[in-house]
Amino acid sequence: MKSKHQRLILALAALVAIIAAGLLAASALKDEAAYFYVPNDVKTKGVEPGKAVRLGGMVEKGSLRHEADGVTIRFTVTDGKAQVAVTFKGIAPDLFREGSGVVAEGAFDTQGTFVASNLLAKHDERYMPREMEGMQYDETTHQMKGAPKP
Amino acid sequence: MNHWPFIIAAYALTALGTLGVSWTSWRAMRSAEARADALRKEH
Amino acid sequence: MHAFANPAKFLSLARPLTPWLFWLGLTLILAGAACGLFLTPADYLQGDSVRIMYIHVPAAWLGMGGWSSMAIAALVQMVWRHPLAGVAGRAIAVPGALFTAICLATGSIWGRPTWGTWWEWDGRMTSMLVLLFLYFGYIALARASAEQAGGIGDNGGVSRVTAIFALVGAVNLPIINRSVVWWNSLHQGPSITMRGSTIDSAILWPLGLTMMGFSLWFGAIVLMRMRAILAQNKVEARLARRAREA
Repeated sequence: MKSKHQRLILALAALVAIIAAGLLAASALKDEAAYFYVPNDVKTKGVEPGKAVRLGGMVEKGSLRHEADGVTIRFTVTDGKAQVAVTFKGIAPDLFREGSGVVAEGAFDTQGTFVASNLLAKHDERYMPREMEGMQYDETTHQMKGAPKP
Repeated sequence: MNHWPFIIAAYALTALGTLGVSWTSWRAMRSAEARADALRKEH
Repeated sequence: MHAFANPAKFLSLARPLTPWLFWLGLTLILAGAACGLFLTPADYLQGDSVRIMYIHVPAAWLGMGGWSSMAIAALVQMVWRHPLAGVAGRAIAVPGALFTAICLATGSIWGRPTWGTWWEWDGRMTSMLVLLFLYFGYIALARASAEQAGGIGDNGGVSRVTAIFALVGAVNLPIINRSVVWWNSLHQGPSITMRGSTIDSAILWPLGLTMMGFSLWFGAIVLMRMRAILAQNKVEARLARRAREA
């Protein structure tokens, strides 16, 4: 009986140590393993022009402009704290739209505009039927609010 | 973009994988248990 | 717990349980998939591709749940020396790896029409791929140690090193779970949390059926594989005894 307890304590201690080490390593990676920068990172840390990075955030409502050439689009990416102007030449994914998430791959030019070579659409964790679009999600009650569209 | 080819591909892949593993697991079990039974009866 | 320490007792329970779990699981999977494919509405943003969720989410849950069970089995094996713990751990590895692979594949297929990419090295996808490699490592290690021992023997061929590997690999599980919170990722945050679900109930409900169905089916596969290992072990033991007597 005694040896069984000894083994249990030893195994649990080892497990705790391993998990603590893993989590420590993961949290140390926190900044390095970020898949993309948000506009506020760009503002506070600065990204040198020409360096290939990913920029993620929301496409600001009302900011999307189509250029005269028909393939270039301009829009603003925001994270609520800072904004970055983005231009992209090419075909955007279906889910790319104003007010929705986006991850842009590319680099900053010398004027501070982000020139994207590829766009990825990022959706959030909300899933709902089409009829419910435009309704508001309540963070505290986890219910949808507002009347459905006619 | 039409999503149905993607949906069908995802479901077909899942069906293939799960049925494949079911089949091999069942066959391995049957043959192992049959061998064990045969050996016991020999004695 | 020790009521099941005896493999004969375990088998008397596992034999009738296997077909029940298998067919009940399969029925629930088919019902859930049919409802998810034909009855539920499409998502307002993702369209019909949201239907991939009904297999992607159970696959993710079983891929991670499989390794959690293997880690628990490893702990039971090392601390209590339970003879069936190793057998269970080894039986879980293959279906666990299968579901992790299905999760990655369906996620990739889902990502193309929604995100616009098959694969990105973001935190969630990378850590899930690491889990698949951990499964491969465990399977190879268990096989090698059983071969070295010259048979399955005790613990279903799971050596102490293999069990320790299962425990250490469990570190990856909280990393997978938290990857979308810690790091900016392309993958969205968790939809179903302790506080509720951000998936509308009109879309959510078949997920319960497929989750339950795949879990039962997973149990049936694990029982089949455990029975195979136990029977094989019996054959090996008998042959060895016969060789000694001869």
